[in-house]
Amino acid sequence: MSIYLYLERNTFIHRLHPVTKIFLLLLFFILLLLFSSPLPIILVTFFLLLVSAFSRSISNLRKIWKLMFILFTFTIILWTIFLKNLNYALAMALRLNALIFTGLIFLSVTRIEEFTYGLNKLGLPFRVSFALTLAFRLVPSFILSAQTTIQAQKSRGLDLETGNLVQRIKKFIPLLIPILATSLRNAELLAIALECKGFGIKKKRTSYLDYKFGRNDFLTLLTIFLLYFLLLKIF
Amino acid sequence: MKEVFTMWKNTKMVVLTAICGAVYAAVLIPFKPIPLIPGFTEIRPASVLPVVFSLFFGPAGAWGSAFGNLIGDFFGTLGIGSIFGFFGNFLYGYLPCKVWSYLSPQTEPLINHPALWLKYIFTVLIASLGCAIPISWGIDWVGLIPFSVLANIIFLNNFFVSLILGPILLFTLYPRFKKWNLLYSQIGEITSEKTFLQNIGFIFILIGCFGGLLVGNLTSLGHFTGKIGINLIPLIFSLILGTILI
Repeated sequence: MSIYLYLERNTFIHRLHPVTKIFLLLLFFILLLLFSSPLPIILVTFFLLLVSAFSRSISNLRKIWKLMFILFTFTIILWTIFLKNLNYALAMALRLNALIFTGLIFLSVTRIEEFTYGLNKLGLPFRVSFALTLAFRLVPSFILSAQTTIQAQKSRGLDLETGNLVQRIKKFIPLLIPILATSLRNAELLAIALECKGFGIKKKRTSYLDYKFGRNDFLTLLTIFLLYFLLLKIF
Repeated sequence: MKEVFTMWKNTKMVVLTAICGAVYAAVLIPFKPIPLIPGFTEIRPASVLPVVFSLFFGPAGAWGSAFGNLIGDFFGTLGIGSIFGFFGNFLYGYLPCKVWSYLSPQTEPLINHPALWLKYIFTVLIASLGCAIPISWGIDWVGLIPFSVLANIIFLNNFFVSLILGPILLFTLYPRFKKWNLLYSQIGEITSEKTFLQNIGFIFILIGCFGGLLVGNLTSLGHFTGKIGINLIPLIFSLILGTILI
């Protein structure tokens, strides 16, 4: 089972070109930052709900609704204290949730490989995108290793929940040292293995993944620009 | 700062970047945070890792910290803040090695002497501020969370966790990583001479960090007129320029 939020579906949004998806993510971020009153942000959120329904990714919303609720509440409290303006506080809380929602949809419809492929196409050097992909790939095994270490130390009597601040921070030492040591032990072997397989020999690389920018990508981007135009015209 | 880009030619540095990023993300996720104020602020033991990675692996630690934070955001909190988080965590992983090598050229990152303790505290202080200020500036600028709340929380979290856990991790892991030929001093080139530009860079970093914290807090609390987004631009610029020069 994957620990990431990607949902395997065959929807129109899933099939979009990775670069289109990255552009959509950025365009929605910018769109949400253009408004400082609640109404346009609510409208964008409804549009995002539609996108989420089309991409059949609403189920992921259930995983993080508690986090969104906490962020929403605290954002309202903080901005009301600082600016004494409830309308602005509400707009900022809605904006924060809409931004997270945008990110959530992106993560639900985009594989890690697609994300790095898209970054490659946008000019990110191969070695950088390789390191990013490798990091994503290693996370599940390192989490497993971290959880094993935590369980092993807890079974030996390590109590992480009691003690003052300094004592509680210090209790993480018997956990962090084995995790770091085991994770980095094979770094040199991995580097040698990569070089043995010709890593970085040729500057121009071929890729197993190949996506074509098609009519759907064009229509989707056109729809978003139409949304920009309408919202800017109305508000 | 050229090593930040030239390091990508070295396969071992590429691998170290990936591992640092993965470990940072992996420790962020299962280590349940210890809440100070539930739902509001917590202690993150993973905050020590960018400092430790930086002192061990140099620029690979910086890129790894930035990647690790981005990967952490892929678990549900990807947003506009991730862009500022990437930049802030890059500085958090880059400033320690630069400030440490500026203050203690050719010195191993082992804190076994009172003078080195002082240098380590100062290094962590600068790194924590260098992380907190750009992130909080960006988040406040886009109107999500007030600067004075976020900057102080990030700064204090990073500073205290790195101060308590950092020296122990450095002391325990240094001999192993040295034996495994993983240290940046064994892979890359470290210059020991301080140049005029480095001195200027260090001053710019100090202005950016301490000035940023002061001006940001005073503006956020209403003692200065204007907006955080505008008031802090010269100080953020000073921090970036200093980081390039040092």
